[in-house]
Amino acid sequence: MDNRSRLQTLFEDILLLTDGEFRFDLRREDVATWDSLAVVAIATGVEETFGYHMSEEEAVGIQSVPDLMRLLEVRGISFAE
Amino acid sequence: MTALHILLERDATPDRLAHAWSSSGSFALLPDRLPISRSAIDAALRLIPPDWHRDHYVLLTSGSTGHPKFVLGSKDRTMALADVLHRVQVLEDVREAVVALPLMYSYAFVNQFIWSLRFGRGLRLTPRLADPMALVGALSKARDAMLCLTGAQVPMLLRAAADMTFPGVTRLNFAGGRFPQELLPTLSERFPHAAIFNNYGCAEALPRLTCRPAAAASESADIGWPLPGVELRSAGDSSLEFRSPFGAVGLIEAGTFRLVEPTDWLPTGDLGVPGDAGRWRLLGRRGEVFKRYGEKVSIAALLASVLQAWPGEAAFHLEHDRSGEIAHVLTIAPIPTREEARAILGALRLGYPRAAWPVRIVGAAALPRLPNGKVDLAALPNLGDGIEVWKQHL
Repeated sequence: MDNRSRLQTLFEDILLLTDGEFRFDLRREDVATWDSLAVVAIATGVEETFGYHMSEEEAVGIQSVPDLMRLLEVRGISFAE
Repeated sequence: MTALHILLERDATPDRLAHAWSSSGSFALLPDRLPISRSAIDAALRLIPPDWHRDHYVLLTSGSTGHPKFVLGSKDRTMALADVLHRVQVLEDVREAVVALPLMYSYAFVNQFIWSLRFGRGLRLTPRLADPMALVGALSKARDAMLCLTGAQVPMLLRAAADMTFPGVTRLNFAGGRFPQELLPTLSERFPHAAIFNNYGCAEALPRLTCRPAAAASESADIGWPLPGVELRSAGDSSLEFRSPFGAVGLIEAGTFRLVEPTDWLPTGDLGVPGDAGRWRLLGRRGEVFKRYGEKVSIAALLASVLQAWPGEAAFHLEHDRSGEIAHVLTIAPIPTREEARAILGALRLGYPRAAWPVRIVGAAALPRLPNGKVDLAALPNLGDGIEVWKQHL
């Protein structure tokens, strides 16, 4: 499984997205289940899936899937197709 | 030695039970595998004052606390309850009771054994679900029969029955746990001539408090109306309490005998609230309704939602998450496909905030069961074949 698939699965699992609901440009305001507890779950899930431990500021600052991809790509985690 | 006659389950044939019931002395009906030593049993029964050494009986239950508890019943009160059950379950045309539960359970003891004794009806013992095919055989031969089940027995019975129907069962009672409301259409197909009832009570009530026709409600938490003479109340924390003219007259617990006065309110061990038109609604067992991240979580409500989306078995147990918050784990059987797990999660997403979602879902080949068919909750956290199929990352 590549990093894009792992990221998609992570979001589907955390936000309980249905098939076709995930997009790589998904934003926090697009889905009601992206609540404050989801922010914690995304931070924990990123660490478990990609091995990067986000700071609290970084976690709270993630407002979209592209935000997270940019943060991780700076740390050398590629999401190139 | 105690002054009471002790009857162990293996010796409790209907004839011996009938003899113990009709003789004037009090007796105790106990399981073969005693949860405490025989000397502790004798010591506990010796606590019963002499006034109750006649015309009474004792059953042993885990009760609402999970600790062994002796429940002292009055033969007269229990006969009166059998009369009430005869009326509310409309049993006049029923000719026999097919027994699929141990007779030492107050449910089967009163609703089947005592009822059959009181009204001179047949009593057909079966190997229960220890031999599902024998039970299926007995049901297929039944005529104008009453069957008493717990919800936990239904999946096993349906598996054993394959596509068979049981037109000879005309009354199907449920008690002793959550009523499987979502299986009502299936039950109506398999028991096409049966009036189905959801009964509610507890061991201390010996055992019945409410009854409703299954089709009179759409959710399992609806326990219907109190039996005539039974009073229910919801205490400040929603603890469901009762007073019953049929209930226990004494309790022995932790080395103490307690006389139950007619004015005493006893806890059922459940949380409940009044509903519409005199009905009552369960919120869950005490300890199964809690706050998680500020949200009220009801295990009973969650389980009902899960079973709407999942045709297999399901149960929850509690643990703590990384933040120290109380968390609930859902175990389902058999092991679901990813799509099946997503269907369950979709139902949870629609109906509940994130805090109410389980912290993870574990799939297993089968849920661990106690001898009475109920899920062995203590074994859920350590399932050898459990596979994590989803988690919240919390």
